[in-house]
Amino acid sequence: MDNPFEPLRTHYPKYDVMHEQEHWDEHTREIVVKRFDLPVTFSQLTGAEVECIRALTALFVDDSRLKLLDYVVKHYDSKLASTIGEDQRKAGTPPEKVLIRDGLAALETLAQSEYSHSFTALSPERQTALLVGLERDTLTLQTPVGTKLPAPEFFKKMLTESVSAYYSHPLVWSEIGYGGPAYPRGYVRSEFGLTDPWEAKRDA
Amino acid sequence: MHEQDPIHHNVCHYDGYRYDDLNHRKYPEDADVVIVGAGTAGGIMAYELARSGLKVVVIEAGPFWNPQSDFASDELSMQHLGWQDTRIVDGTDPLRMGKNNSGRGVGGGSTHWTGVFLRFHESDFRMKTVEGIGADWPITYDDLEPFYRYMEKEIAVSGPKHFPWGAFRGPYPYPERDPLSANAEMFRIGCEQLGIRSVVTPLAINSAPFDGRPPCINRGFCNEGCMPNAKYSSLVHHVPKAIGHGAEFLTDCMVTQIELDAKGRAQSVIFNHDGVEYRQRGRVIVLASYAVETPRLLLASATTGHPDGLCNSSGTVGKYLMTHSSNDVYGRFEQEIRLYKGTPVLATTQDFYETQLNRGFVRGYTLHAHGARPVAMGSGLAREAGIWGRRLRETMLNYNFYGRITMVGEVLPAEQNAVTLADERDEYGMPMPKVTFSYGENDRKLIDHAVVKMQEILKAAGGTPEFVVSDTAHLMGGTRMGSDPATSVVNGWCQAHDIPNLFICSAAVFPTSGSGNPTATVMALAARTAAHLKDELIKQHL
Repeated sequence: MDNPFEPLRTHYPKYDVMHEQEHWDEHTREIVVKRFDLPVTFSQLTGAEVECIRALTALFVDDSRLKLLDYVVKHYDSKLASTIGEDQRKAGTPPEKVLIRDGLAALETLAQSEYSHSFTALSPERQTALLVGLERDTLTLQTPVGTKLPAPEFFKKMLTESVSAYYSHPLVWSEIGYGGPAYPRGYVRSEFGLTDPWEAKRDA
Repeated sequence: MHEQDPIHHNVCHYDGYRYDDLNHRKYPEDADVVIVGAGTAGGIMAYELARSGLKVVVIEAGPFWNPQSDFASDELSMQHLGWQDTRIVDGTDPLRMGKNNSGRGVGGGSTHWTGVFLRFHESDFRMKTVEGIGADWPITYDDLEPFYRYMEKEIAVSGPKHFPWGAFRGPYPYPERDPLSANAEMFRIGCEQLGIRSVVTPLAINSAPFDGRPPCINRGFCNEGCMPNAKYSSLVHHVPKAIGHGAEFLTDCMVTQIELDAKGRAQSVIFNHDGVEYRQRGRVIVLASYAVETPRLLLASATTGHPDGLCNSSGTVGKYLMTHSSNDVYGRFEQEIRLYKGTPVLATTQDFYETQLNRGFVRGYTLHAHGARPVAMGSGLAREAGIWGRRLRETMLNYNFYGRITMVGEVLPAEQNAVTLADERDEYGMPMPKVTFSYGENDRKLIDHAVVKMQEILKAAGGTPEFVVSDTAHLMGGTRMGSDPATSVVNGWCQAHDIPNLFICSAAVFPTSGSGNPTATVMALAARTAAHLKDELIKQHL
């Protein structure tokens, strides 16, 4: 396996989408700027859960930078505090909050039974092996009190939430050359080969 | 040109008034029409009825948005434009709900749609006659034609001078959009190479100033809520006009029950605002609450006289729910496409719309060039294509080099695809809806065909097709229209067979899904239903 989390090359090393923030509407700016504020403590998640979400997310998004992982953790923490519904829940799957929390506990139990170590103490290779087992439903996910959980549903929930939060971070936007917020300015040059002066320019 | 924020002064029940307790309302006892849901259909009906002098009250579960302060150029934070209340999903192809196929708040789904305005074809209304399966509509294309035409003018649909498919060949009231996005250009180049006809998509998005709203600035955030108000939504068009004509909008009010009088006619609805229940009476009740909440409300309003729910003598309430298959195909290019730029859908083909016997399935699909932002692309690849870890990161670092095409594929009506009530209850004490969906064999063959076609177009445009992401879009059916009361819920006027003063107006009444985007037909149907209802009310027939 390659060196895990080895930084990959961006096409846009000089681009920082945050340089454009004065051109954004106030509401959007407030939302995006807040993504750099990381809480010292989380209101819902325990220390062990935070560690576990960081480890899972690092594997999902192939990135171990703490400021990004902690933003993702913040996303989970506010999700667990929210009273808003979960859009859809597959029949037979526990409610989202239960699935996330029980799933994290069950993953820890699984790591202990497979490798006699905490999930976060395992090598990325072993962690990945466990995740692939959940994804393919070849490993059983059971809480410490013996409740069985649908492993692929837990995997999918965590993957989707982690990836959605990660690709909402302006640091990541800059690296992939995404233009980000675009109101009230919009785009003048939208056709093939054209870019507005402020957009990311590739160097390679 | 003087540009105004058309809703700024209307964030209230009516004409600037709002009382906290909702006991002070404009028409608490004597409304002519009570409309449940302030989405596309509800907004249009409210406007058309209010301007005829009728007393209209619209009850909306979600908030009254102000685009300037409530919308943002951001994917993650705008998820709440969808209906996020939990639905239990089941079947072999459980649906993704929320913003994928619904809206919440004034404007409903029209706040986050892509503005694609396509009339159905004549064949869409006659599936049973032509194909021998599915269902016929009790109305024809010709019945809807004047209302398509009316709506296109009313909201200044932009589109090509010549449209090559269906009964309507253009021109559209406003010129087609220009410039296009690189993704739309890529799509048109690929189509041209293969001899496939394509057009600049007809859109309910201004290509020039209209009605105090500016032309589109190609910002590209249609799905996150239009901030310049260049895109049509009932929030910025019909609702403020309806309020101007006297309609009252009650927002953050969830309707939980329909009540009947002793004669079995609809008499009132019960709604919940901030934990307190209120009653709203009306001569006519219109459910413009889309394909899940409409059957849910009818089923949950069961009484001892109607143990299976209201309007359900046929047993079809909730049944024949459809979606559109909406798989995306991503192709990698040498040059940058930048999928974030420009209106998401700007180029379209309907060359594969009608049944062709040699394809091995009936009906067909529409293809669109379809932009995508990082959250939608990353999470779509992860969730549906199993791409994560190093491969996802590598792919997303090349985000700007991907193009994307999306299908809108017909899904045949099937009785077992249905909305039912779950055992679990929501915060209002209502049973949660359960949405069961499985593709049939015809649906799957159609998807396979479309995916190959999308891959061919990407290739012909110089790209390398890389990922197929399974997806769905739109909901249709659940309270279908039909001429036979034994097999349908409403008649061709959207009037319930069982309760003559109860109307259902949304895509929930579609007997078939059509092979293209449904909103133009929802709008035409709403205008037609309103015209009929107005006549009937004035003649005192209801």
